[in-house]
Amino acid sequence: MINTKANLKHRIMAIRFAIWDLHLYLDTHMGDCTAIELTEKYKKQLYQLMDEYICQYGPLSAEDDNAEKWLCTPFPWVNSGSDC
Amino acid sequence: MFQYEKILQYPINIKNPNPMYAKIIMSQYGGPDGELGASLRYLSQRFAMPCCELQGLLTDIGTEELGHLEMIGTLVYQLTRNLSCEEIKKNGFDAYFVDHTTGVYPASAAGVPFTAAYLQSKGDVITDLHEDMAAEQKARTTYDNILRLVDDPDVRDVIKFLRAREVVHYQRFGEGLRLATDKLNEKNFYAFNPAIDKSCIK
Repeated sequence: MINTKANLKHRIMAIRFAIWDLHLYLDTHMGDCTAIELTEKYKKQLYQLMDEYICQYGPLSAEDDNAEKWLCTPFPWVNSGSDC
Repeated sequence: MFQYEKILQYPINIKNPNPMYAKIIMSQYGGPDGELGASLRYLSQRFAMPCCELQGLLTDIGTEELGHLEMIGTLVYQLTRNLSCEEIKKNGFDAYFVDHTTGVYPASAAGVPFTAAYLQSKGDVITDLHEDMAAEQKARTTYDNILRLVDDPDVRDVIKFLRAREVVHYQRFGEGLRLATDKLNEKNFYAFNPAIDKSCIK
């Protein structure tokens, strides 16, 4: 893989988006079993990828582990490839 | 409470700065149908929503709109990096530049500053959800107009994502409206305001 960090981040973004869109769907389709099962499946994948990312590259939220690195990773509006 | 996450909802990496595009896209930051108005609209209206599904829906979509506000700010920021005075003048960015340099300020493409008059919070679930559905369509049209004016594929990709979200939100608000009317008197949905006349909810 050319850029493991960017690749990992993109996978996290994609899975988080899927979970979020299912979450909105469940707001108006409370108890929909298919959506709930899919959410659980994606959440398991997400937690694994998040742990990997946070451990290697620093926190995504101020309450994550590895929080001492909060200021050492770029804010998301900065183009990728320009870590401080 | 809200917690910040250091990640965008969709990746943005603009290779070629372009102040003319920044000026146009700025309208979705602080313009009449922009993301700031959207987030404030839903996050304010939610207090008068009569049931948990609608309180949840407005909280969630309002929160997502804050994420979109950050994405539009990111587009404007990346499109205005490393500009020369020549580029600023040539692309018509001088009027914005003289007041804000390249700082991100909530205003429309025509330079009108953001105002809360762009949104309403009427305290009536049917009225507010109709406004929300219209707001999503107005934002969708604005993104369609941006797509007619912008050629850069890096920018278009992000705008297309945001446009699609307006369509999804419109759909969810429509479902929310149906959930609301299902709980009201089907002979006359408008006889009561569920935010005040609590006993009218089935």
